[in-house]
Amino acid sequence: MAKHSALRRYTWFDWVNIVFMVLFCFITLFPIWYVFVGSFNEGLDYTMGGVWFWPRVWTLDNYLVVVTDPAIWKGYLVTIGRTVLGTVSSLVFTSVVAYAVSRRNLRGRTVYYWIFMITMFFGGGIIPYFILLKVIGLLNNFLVYVIPSLFSAYNMIVISIFFAQLPDSLCEAARIDGAGEYRILFTIVMPLSKPILSTVALWAIVGHWNSYLDSMYYVNDPDLYSLQYVLMRIINKSSVPANPGVTLPPSLYETITAKTVSFAAIVVSTIPVLVCYPFLQKYFASGFMIGAVKE
Amino acid sequence: MTEHIEIREQEEGVQARENLSQKRRRRKMRKNDWELQTMVWLGVLFVAVFCYAPLFGIILAFKDGNNVLNIMNAILYGDWVGWENFRSFLADGEFIDVMLNTLGLNGLMMLINFPAPVLFALLLNELKPVRFKRTAQTISYLPHFLSWVVFGGIISALVNTDTGVLNALLVQSGLVSAPVDIIGDLKYFWGLIIVTSLIKGIGWGSIIYLAAISGVSKDLYEAAEIDGANRLQRVLHVTLPGIAPSVVTFFLLSVSGILNSTVEHILVFQTQTNLSRSQVIDTMVLQYGLNHGMYSYATAIGLFKSVIACGLLVMSNLLCKKLTGKGVY
Repeated sequence: MAKHSALRRYTWFDWVNIVFMVLFCFITLFPIWYVFVGSFNEGLDYTMGGVWFWPRVWTLDNYLVVVTDPAIWKGYLVTIGRTVLGTVSSLVFTSVVAYAVSRRNLRGRTVYYWIFMITMFFGGGIIPYFILLKVIGLLNNFLVYVIPSLFSAYNMIVISIFFAQLPDSLCEAARIDGAGEYRILFTIVMPLSKPILSTVALWAIVGHWNSYLDSMYYVNDPDLYSLQYVLMRIINKSSVPANPGVTLPPSLYETITAKTVSFAAIVVSTIPVLVCYPFLQKYFASGFMIGAVKE
Repeated sequence: MTEHIEIREQEEGVQARENLSQKRRRRKMRKNDWELQTMVWLGVLFVAVFCYAPLFGIILAFKDGNNVLNIMNAILYGDWVGWENFRSFLADGEFIDVMLNTLGLNGLMMLINFPAPVLFALLLNELKPVRFKRTAQTISYLPHFLSWVVFGGIISALVNTDTGVLNALLVQSGLVSAPVDIIGDLKYFWGLIIVTSLIKGIGWGSIIYLAAISGVSKDLYEAAEIDGANRLQRVLHVTLPGIAPSVVTFFLLSVSGILNSTVEHILVFQTQTNLSRSQVIDTMVLQYGLNHGMYSYATAIGLFKSVIACGLLVMSNLLCKKLTGKGVY
């Protein structure tokens, strides 16, 4: 009865809005489902079209080709490595600088602040940056994924704003007890700043996981390609390559196509994101807003 | 008498101890100050190397550094060529197309992709069923977490001329007589970029505005309701003014990157056939500089972009000041 009266309070606008949102959700989810379905369909059969909501001829051949491709696993290793190392190191590095900038008693604070701010608006451009990477030996080096992203002025300022509004009395007490600033940062300030740190960590993780331009332009060695770039090369291939060192049944190559193999590769490289997504959700609900409101 | 002296001695003792502890504290403070300086200098050293040092590389735009093997040599000892690199860019057959694409795509982004998340946040906020509201929100953020490679692969599958569901739908509904090549056809490229950017970014972009909406005081809505404001009026006169500061802030932020393109996005869909509609300044710099080794030429193009962007920024600042009384900087 109560439900009925709630429904009756819906105006025509509410119904239009609901229909719009349902459509929107469908438009967002269906393409992902579509590729998922395609990855389970036999390649030759798929070329006839019409495989939309459910596979017509089931097969796992596409996945067999993908999981026996060593490039995918190397890409996974590189991407996991850069995501973990890059996120942790940049969070620590940026927090250290942010903490110093957030202290009122930092001598020359305004000057330092502007030194960082200016970098958000002016840069030498991509070519001088490339030359720099070459000169300091980061080209074709795994560290090119980690070191240049150690620090970003934007993240530093977001974090320092959060640090600055923590009550100073806690730090003052530690200071009187003889604690150094590094110790105060790591044992008091950072544990109190989990909301903002997890938000910035989320940005960093997404950035590292999805990046492919750095592999494309700064790395030549296929062993150092990140997962997304490996995937891009698979998608752009027009034929299914024989994986070296792996013998798949020859009959498999009669029906398989590059397109459905690339679908399987898309699914394989996206599964971690889809699995982690529900767990990450609470961070962008809470943390992002804190960052947003303070900006 | 002796009592008095005792008290004085005691007082002096306290004073001395206080002095000592103050001195110690000051020394301590000095040590902590020094530590703070080491912390901030880590950042200063980083930006000196990665942000300020490359600024010197800009002189490459005025030197002969195309197709050289040792770029550092070209920067330090290369021949000065004046405005030669800029002149050849202006004379380049691609120039007009590239400028048109850069300005056109960024203009459309400002017009469509900037306000869309605001509208989306307002619609989400008005959505009545609470459970569905949360679900829709969750689903709308999802594409942001997929990379452009994955998203691009998915879209290409969807719009494929032979097997894609979109073309089948268009043909069957009679909207087109034959399948259209949405990625390859010049006519559709800008639309493709705008729509894919919209699907990928609208949900994530709306988070900030949803946060701002939830910060608007409930009292204002109640007051408006008592005054007889209907739903639309409440949105127009309570919600919108409430989130206006966030909208302005993000507008100003996006103005500062006015000629930047999302290279990751465009490169995923760029092919040889759609080049005349897909090439923007940023992709051109990458291709000439890093694929073809035309270092000086690419640096000059990049510098040209920065100068134009600076001009646009100054102009929009003037306009903004005139309209709202508040400038970008």
